[in-house]
Amino acid sequence: MSNILQTPKTIPEYLELLRAALKGKDPALVQDALYDAEEYLRAELAEHPGQDEASVLEKVSSSYGAPEEVAEIYSEREVAVSEAFRSPRASIQQTQSSAGVASVGVSVNKKPQNPIAWFFGVAADPRAYAALFYMLLSLATGIFYFTWAVTGLSLSLGFMILIIGIPFAVLFMGSVWALSLVEGRLVETMLGVRMPRRPAYVNQEGGFLTRIKEILVDPRTWATLLYMLLMLPLGNIYFNIAFIGLILSLSFLSAPFIYFLGYADHVHLFNTSLAEQPWLVIPMFVIGALGIFVTLHVARGIGKLHGQLAKNLLVHTSANS
Amino acid sequence: MTETEIHLKKFQKELSAGMVSLVLLGVLGQATEPMYGYQIAKRFEGAGEAVLTGKQSALYPVLRNLSASGLLDSFVEPSVSGPPRRYYQITEDGRAVLSEWMNTWNATRGFVDSILKGDSHE
Repeated sequence: MSNILQTPKTIPEYLELLRAALKGKDPALVQDALYDAEEYLRAELAEHPGQDEASVLEKVSSSYGAPEEVAEIYSEREVAVSEAFRSPRASIQQTQSSAGVASVGVSVNKKPQNPIAWFFGVAADPRAYAALFYMLLSLATGIFYFTWAVTGLSLSLGFMILIIGIPFAVLFMGSVWALSLVEGRLVETMLGVRMPRRPAYVNQEGGFLTRIKEILVDPRTWATLLYMLLMLPLGNIYFNIAFIGLILSLSFLSAPFIYFLGYADHVHLFNTSLAEQPWLVIPMFVIGALGIFVTLHVARGIGKLHGQLAKNLLVHTSANS
Repeated sequence: MTETEIHLKKFQKELSAGMVSLVLLGVLGQATEPMYGYQIAKRFEGAGEAVLTGKQSALYPVLRNLSASGLLDSFVEPSVSGPPRRYYQITEDGRAVLSEWMNTWNATRGFVDSILKGDSHE
């Protein structure tokens, strides 16, 4: 560790150094670290109204930590603490740790070697059900995001000739940032991708117009809007895949019940009916059962892909700028 | 940095890993109203600071994780001085955990003290 640390003179300078020191780290972690630092620095500055920014920041280096130290603490501490606190992810660990206390510890995410075990194991993976639920939900959220983005954008443009144009556009952009945080929470809980828990750092310096300009030139704003528009087709596709997968599997699964309840002559398959070929209930039941597992696998896979998409559009764009 | 200092630093780091969560829960357990990060950090200034946190920035990730595991509740309120502040308060679960942790700490402290003082109670 070098002892010659740069001492920033202003809060934006401090945050810039912190961002530089965190380069290459998880963008969600970077966003949280910048947010925490800004809260502390501004509160410290407000506590000492008589002093100038540079001398307050000098003191901060010894209490809160210099940017380089803070970066180091976040990288180390977040790993250590989340390991100790997070409940184990895979279901296999949950059964092992049923003693309760044993849940603290590094989870060893060992993939079962047997492909059959892997195929059926998906039923015990909470992530697969969560992803399936996300896919069903994404029809609603997709329609909402799309409507919000299109309405907001066109109203913003339309109002531009009026006095309320700029304030409306700013409010709309603010709502887009807020929605991106909300979607981040959804994606993190359901798809298990680390997303930021704090809003992105916004420069507090400069006048109203410079801040508007910053929102408009921030690639994150446009990437979020793109994500919101994309969610309509994606949400539709996800919903249909999940819904059709579930319905098909469930109807095949129900074949024996239909037969025994006496409705077999209503089920027609390949120019024959269940009443004529009763043995068909067995392959249908098996296909239905396999279909459930396939649907869960597809949901887990789509969940992973969509998590990456969300992370790239909602988070990465800001951290790289 | 001398050899002794390196050992001291390492010991402080290991010691602080669990203690910070206990003290944070303790601070919020006594608080009469929700507190935000900076306020909490200021409570750490003074005697215990060097050992427990080193730097106050280390508190924030711990607060976040305590909140993620349901021991703390949090909400956001706008502030005049800067970005909106996140306020934390202890939950019912948090209080239960805190009292368990305090028992553990008291037992540990008694044991460590008795070893270091060298009394044998036989």
